[in-house]
Amino acid sequence: MTESRQTQQRPRHPHTARARRSSPPVAATTDNHLLIEGARKSFGGTEVLKGVDLAVAKGRTTAIVGPSGSGKTTLLRLIAGFEAPDAGTISLDGQPVAGPSDWVPAHRRKVGYVAQDGALFPHLTVGQNVAFGLAGRGGKAAAGRVAELLEMVSMDPSYAKRRPHQLSGGQQQRVALARALAREPALMLLDEPFSALDAGLRVATRRAVAATLSEAGVTTILVTHDQAEALSFADQVAVMRDGKLAQIGNPFVVYTRPADRATAEFLGDAVILEAWMEGSLATCSLGGIPVRRPPVQGRVLLMLRPEQIRIAEDGPIHGTVVDTDYFGPETTVRLQLEPLALSKDPHQPKGGEIISIRHWNAMLARPGVRLSLRVVGEGVAFPFA
Amino acid sequence: MARTTAARSARGPAGIASGPVPAPAGGRSNRSGPPPVVVLICVLIAAFALLPLGYVAVMTVGAGWETISTLVFRPRVAELLMNTVALVVITVPLCVVLGVGGAWLVERTSLRGHKAWSLLLAAPLAIPAFVNSYAWVSAIPSLSGIFGGVLISTLSYFPLVYIPVAATLSRMDPALEQSGSSLGLGSWRVFARVVLPQLRLAIAGGALLVALHLLAEYGAFAMIRFDTFTTAIYEQYQSTFNGAAANMLASVLVVFCLLLLLAESRTRGNARYARIGSGAQASPARLTLGLHAIPAQLALAALTALAFGVPLYHVGRWLIAGGATIWARPELVSSLLQTLGYGLAGALVTTALAFPLAYLAVRHPGWLSKTLEAVNYISSSMPGIVVALAFVTITVHGLPAIYQTSTVLVAAYVLLFMPRSLVNLRAGLAQAPRELDEAARALGKAPFTAFLRVTLRLSAPAAAGGAALVFLGIVNELTATLLLSPNGTATLATEFWKLSSEIDYAGAAPYALLMILLSAPMTYLLFSQSKKAAGQ
Repeated sequence: MTESRQTQQRPRHPHTARARRSSPPVAATTDNHLLIEGARKSFGGTEVLKGVDLAVAKGRTTAIVGPSGSGKTTLLRLIAGFEAPDAGTISLDGQPVAGPSDWVPAHRRKVGYVAQDGALFPHLTVGQNVAFGLAGRGGKAAAGRVAELLEMVSMDPSYAKRRPHQLSGGQQQRVALARALAREPALMLLDEPFSALDAGLRVATRRAVAATLSEAGVTTILVTHDQAEALSFADQVAVMRDGKLAQIGNPFVVYTRPADRATAEFLGDAVILEAWMEGSLATCSLGGIPVRRPPVQGRVLLMLRPEQIRIAEDGPIHGTVVDTDYFGPETTVRLQLEPLALSKDPHQPKGGEIISIRHWNAMLARPGVRLSLRVVGEGVAFPFA
Repeated sequence: MARTTAARSARGPAGIASGPVPAPAGGRSNRSGPPPVVVLICVLIAAFALLPLGYVAVMTVGAGWETISTLVFRPRVAELLMNTVALVVITVPLCVVLGVGGAWLVERTSLRGHKAWSLLLAAPLAIPAFVNSYAWVSAIPSLSGIFGGVLISTLSYFPLVYIPVAATLSRMDPALEQSGSSLGLGSWRVFARVVLPQLRLAIAGGALLVALHLLAEYGAFAMIRFDTFTTAIYEQYQSTFNGAAANMLASVLVVFCLLLLLAESRTRGNARYARIGSGAQASPARLTLGLHAIPAQLALAALTALAFGVPLYHVGRWLIAGGATIWARPELVSSLLQTLGYGLAGALVTTALAFPLAYLAVRHPGWLSKTLEAVNYISSSMPGIVVALAFVTITVHGLPAIYQTSTVLVAAYVLLFMPRSLVNLRAGLAQAPRELDEAARALGKAPFTAFLRVTLRLSAPAAAGGAALVFLGIVNELTATLLLSPNGTATLATEFWKLSSEIDYAGAAPYALLMILLSAPMTYLLFSQSKKAAGQ
């Protein structure tokens, strides 16, 4: 799946990604609630999805994260049934819903969908919005169900009489969720539902939504460009780039052991150093760093997360503070590392890079101060590009 | 792709019991692909809209150069050209001065009673130009020639500039003017260098509308015996039915219209004056008029008296002079009913046909929707006389079965007033984004149900607004109605025209009153809508 792109980037190691992937992309078990195989989609000659495989287990939460334009919303729209794939198949509960000979339109898929801005119907009250998908229920029963659904998303049933424009952004999103839950979908799709909210509200709404969905036991797919949101929300993170899933795995694995450099940098700050791999030890200007299952030997790029590099009085490594950037709880400290002993081999790392790490104590790191450092945990090695 | 989408959408509401269904071979929908049924309907509408232009082109080419040169290069045409050009060249700037001046006083100065004035300046639109002409002829029986033409058309049409300019001014971000002041410009120079350039689009659009009305107007000029192309074509048509002379005059008129459209699109260029930046917009500061308030009030009072007071006064005068007998004509009720009938039918058909065009333009913007829209705007800019002439000839030769039937008349109304509906529907559909439609589908509604309950429901108010404006146009339409209406048809406008041509001014007065009363609420609607639409 990721093969062709990586072939381009790293001609010498075409199989790296497959070997390093933390979990198989498609586990064809009956447990899979959603199964996508080889999905492709083009719009006006531009290929937006270039062959996507994804399996989502029942009751689990998956976040599809990627930069804007990577195709993640298109993938969600394929699952919802708003678009049909050009190639590949999509199955829900083992039943094909889109494929060369199958098509189930959106309104028959039993899939809930919450759009970026909630997409509440402006001509209906909150109650009418929530009841929109409830078919064939009498007035009383519907009203009871609406109240129940509003309570499910922690809203007072008295809101039912209000109009969407009288609600805050967070409330609108929760009503949209209640509306989508009304039909008791087995699969819920969330298309950047928190990105229109301001920072404080975003976290609170995200927690509330995650709690509601996990209580209801609904399989959930969240699309977002915010990697922190993806890591905190989901059991499984799928990183999307250029129309392909670059990596799928649990948040911790994806963050600490990214499949390639671009994924590493997309998911958070990364310190990338030239290194020399021998056995499972990478030698670089931060010393010898253990690497689990290195892809190659010899010249590599070593990735560490900044929080793995600690300032410690007895640290074996030294660096000089170049400058600092203070932002309250933490300070970003740029450090000039010391060059390594010169080797005759031009492929050996030279050291002396400038790296950025974070520290809580701004007073400690004044420009020009020489600090002692210690590296915690393992690094990740990528073949030298 | 297009074909299979149709297959799929046709299958949607038909109902599938459960589970997956085989898709038609290669069945793939595409976000950028509009439903082919809609495209087909739109192309058919555009082809229909091109009939008058096509007719004029075919007639002109078919006539051959010799006929063209003898019919076009003659003193009579030169005289008509002089009259028409003079009318446009004098009236349009006058309308711009009155419209912009009025709008500025109402929207940007401390003028007392500016709310009342803002409505009063739009009010003359409720009076059809030929009723205005009738009133002025009653006041000054000797009124004629270019002076009369300019007087009546300026008073009738300056609101066409006033309304868009006032709407733009009321929506214009005052921060820009404040920036101008902070850069050291005085009030007048801020107006000239900051405000006026931003009004360019509104002024150009309004001026184009005035010019097109001047070219199309028949009744108002015929009543004061001022000859323009339109009145001359009508006379030619009356004397020699379907003569080459009328056709050649029509093609000159069409060329004139196309030149105006081109000129307007040139002034407009690619300019966009959207408000940059976000956040709430402050309400504009009003310039204190001080002692200038008195001449300002007097000027507005004089303008309103001439444009609105004179017609109302003379209609009222004739109503009193006529007494009860003028209301006793049996034609009065039937012409009112026929007007309402044509108005409603035309409004409904126009709205129904405008819907697919608007849908295409909003949901599937691209070269196709742009072209189709442009075709409709251009052909609807053609004077009623040209449309009528084309329809008469085409039905006589091609479809004698529907010649002089109400179908043809309604078709002409659709063609003439399509943009009024289109503009409104576009704005309305923009209020019903695709996401809402999709939300409904995700909630288990079949595509057609989702469309009915969300998209159609949300665009209904805009559709009603557009329909009302089409209705207004039909109520006051005279030229095409005179040429195309079936025998025995009498609308308020044609009855009014018949009676006032017979110099039965008292008898015509009730018809004038009814037209004004029917137009008043629609004019108010137009006025309030313009305030909402500006800045979008």
